[in-house]
Amino acid sequence: MTRVRRGVVAVVVLLSVVLAATPSTVAASSVTDQLIRRLNRQLLYMAVPIAVLVEIILIYTLWRFRGNDEPRPTRENRQLEITWTVATALVLLFVGTASFHALAHPSVSTIDGESSDVPDDAVEVDVTAEQWEYAFEYPDAGVATNETLVLPENRSIYLSITAEDVVHSVHVPELGLKQDAIPGETNLLRTELTGTGEYRLYCAELCGVGHSGMLSTVEVVSEDEYEAWLEDQRAGEADNESATDATNESSGGDEP
Amino acid sequence: MIGAVPGIVLAVALLGGLAAYLRVQRDPPPAWYADGGVISPTVGLTRTEKPSGVLRWLTTVDHKDIGLLYILFGTAAGLWGATDAMMMRTELLVPETVVWNVETYNAVFTTHGLTMLFFFVTPVFTGIGNYMLPLLLDADDMAFPRINAVAFWLLPPSLVLVRGGLISDVLGAVLGVLPIGVGALLALEPVSMGWTMYTPLSTEMANPQIDVTLLGLHLSGIATTMAAINFIVTIVTERPDDLGWDELDIFSWNMLVTSGLILLAFPLLGSTVILLLLDRNFGTTFFAIEGGGPMLWQHLFWFFGHPEVYILVLPAFGLISLILPKFCGRRLFGFRFIVYSTIAIGVMSFGVWAHHMFATGMDPRLRASFMAVSLAIAIPSAIKEFNWIATMWNGSLELSAPMICIVGAMSTFVIGGITGVFLAAVPVDLVLHDTHYVVGHFHLIVVGIIPLAMIAASYYWFPLITGRMYNQRLARAQATLLIVGAFVTFVPLLVLGYMGMPRRYAAYPAEFVGLNQVASIGAFVIGVSVVLWLVNLVQSIRVGPIVEDADVWNLKETGQFTREWQWFEDRIEKRRAERPLPDDHTGAESEPSEEATDPEKPD
Repeated sequence: MTRVRRGVVAVVVLLSVVLAATPSTVAASSVTDQLIRRLNRQLLYMAVPIAVLVEIILIYTLWRFRGNDEPRPTRENRQLEITWTVATALVLLFVGTASFHALAHPSVSTIDGESSDVPDDAVEVDVTAEQWEYAFEYPDAGVATNETLVLPENRSIYLSITAEDVVHSVHVPELGLKQDAIPGETNLLRTELTGTGEYRLYCAELCGVGHSGMLSTVEVVSEDEYEAWLEDQRAGEADNESATDATNESSGGDEP
Repeated sequence: MIGAVPGIVLAVALLGGLAAYLRVQRDPPPAWYADGGVISPTVGLTRTEKPSGVLRWLTTVDHKDIGLLYILFGTAAGLWGATDAMMMRTELLVPETVVWNVETYNAVFTTHGLTMLFFFVTPVFTGIGNYMLPLLLDADDMAFPRINAVAFWLLPPSLVLVRGGLISDVLGAVLGVLPIGVGALLALEPVSMGWTMYTPLSTEMANPQIDVTLLGLHLSGIATTMAAINFIVTIVTERPDDLGWDELDIFSWNMLVTSGLILLAFPLLGSTVILLLLDRNFGTTFFAIEGGGPMLWQHLFWFFGHPEVYILVLPAFGLISLILPKFCGRRLFGFRFIVYSTIAIGVMSFGVWAHHMFATGMDPRLRASFMAVSLAIAIPSAIKEFNWIATMWNGSLELSAPMICIVGAMSTFVIGGITGVFLAAVPVDLVLHDTHYVVGHFHLIVVGIIPLAMIAASYYWFPLITGRMYNQRLARAQATLLIVGAFVTFVPLLVLGYMGMPRRYAAYPAEFVGLNQVASIGAFVIGVSVVLWLVNLVQSIRVGPIVEDADVWNLKETGQFTREWQWFEDRIEKRRAERPLPDDHTGAESEPSEEATDPEKPD
């Protein structure tokens, strides 16, 4: 019996160590991230104990029946089979239900055609990926840049993502955002950012030689800083225009 | 190219002449029959035997010979693919691209995938199946011996075509010293579009080697499909009357389902690569942005690609289910349910392909349905694991080398399988898709189960195939090392994925360096373990102790002395009867497998 008790203690200790090590305490930085992180944590709470338990049973079986002098012949056990089938199904049903709840949230998945009814106060950015850089266009503000994607916190964000040449993928892991950029298609990525900071933007779909260098930055700033940044951009573009005597009016040509 | 032809012709003619001369010198051609004498009208009157030397291996239609050829070819391809992996992990030791350049890195992960999937795993399992299935089924041979040979001989040219870029570069460099034009050879560069070959990248890349690779893949698809048809027909028709479906061994069941999957999936791959070939060369618009669109490729590719995953792993499950009970001293627990789960996996594997495309922006309702099937397919996989553990429970476990491999595979399967459930959950997948998490997840299966099952089979049947025994202590150490290596390599990749590091990055941000170095060290441990395996087996084929008792694993005691071992025992008896002199022990230089010149069954 002490053997069993020691085993139980070992399991509990192991579990708490593993759970303590899981990355769950970091503050979420977007609504999407928060939803996915919560789901991931729920799944970990089930998966880690199950994994540890099965591994321990496996090792215990190995240890206990190694060189066993009196093996018993195999007898079919239909009840046992049905039990573990149903148990697995129940666990997976929980996984499916929890995932579906997160999936149903518009910040996690957007239905096509929703881009037509964007609320007025939302920030819209057209993200275009091209070997091997991104173009960020703010159609409402009339600003375009290749540098960083600057976004305000606490406002609805609508990113329309497409590609010019080959398939790319916009991947901001810390914000829980991923959307493939597919030439000839525009896909919507919706979220709301809850914390300021700088987050790395990766290309996550192999796009040729420059793939691993196709990095950019998402800069989340406060509302005021965002407006100021937009002003700067407009001023900068106007300067550029007057400096180069551009004959064509660009989209960002509003005089400040 | 034309300038290069005389050089190549000259080289081929020279080598051919040399080979022919040596053959005539060594062994004058015996009287042989191309069909092995099987359907000769004078059968019984004529002596039937295989030709000796190289010609035997080139003309053989014996399932055991072809099985060995498959295993040798698959192992060679696997070692080549493993070299690619070692090159990759060496590059990833440092964040910057300093070991190789980006082109080389991209080429190496592309060819690693293509080589391992098409030329390592399936050929080795086809080889094991070829050798063992007729013995397990008590059949004379495969149903179509010649198709069997053709299917095998299509594979080496396919491999050369698929990996042509490297071969042509080397050939070009060698021939370049001669005063002939080698421009055409040097124009072929190793392919670097990723094994998934997503369009438009794969249509826009100029490298003509991509076309050659596509042809090679098509050819390998034909070969694999032929072999699969052969397996299906063999299992259905070549069984003796008293061997019903309920008596069919578990490995044959798995090969049957695998072959069914191949039959349905590989023709699709063949057609799809031809469409891509047409797009690249003849201006068709199947996958063009203004034509069928890039998503069409992804759907067609993954409709093949996901069943392919199970084509790879089901034979490994079969081997585990077959070998595990032999070292537990009791029969397989839940045989019927394991068969059901195999069939269930086979059916469901055609309904999960879009889970590779959750991030493409497809309709959430579609995502939800593919999530449901992807989660459901975890049930039959879990059933297998539970049944295996139940087989061990109350048994008498013997920790010999094959058993260590199998228990190791069971332990990696737990992690590899559960991490897969996270990827099936769409929202989590959105973050983890195309990161190193995915690489870690599937490598825990394709390294943690498939090679372990193969190595378990190699250790289990090595005495039967070669008539000799290997160094068991070294084998146990090797198996343990491989299991440790798999965990050390691929668990850090799971963490890297959670940290956001994307796949297929030749250079990566510096914060990921620590875990990448751990993974690389683990990969080198796997490499060392593979070398140990190779050394042990090659050395044992040469000088290993000769097996005198066919019951190597004490299977008679537990009533599991199956047909293939019975066949082996008969062969040993026959050898003894023919050569009663005991000085057979010292005949180390005679190839044991060549002693079995008579392919006929004794009954």
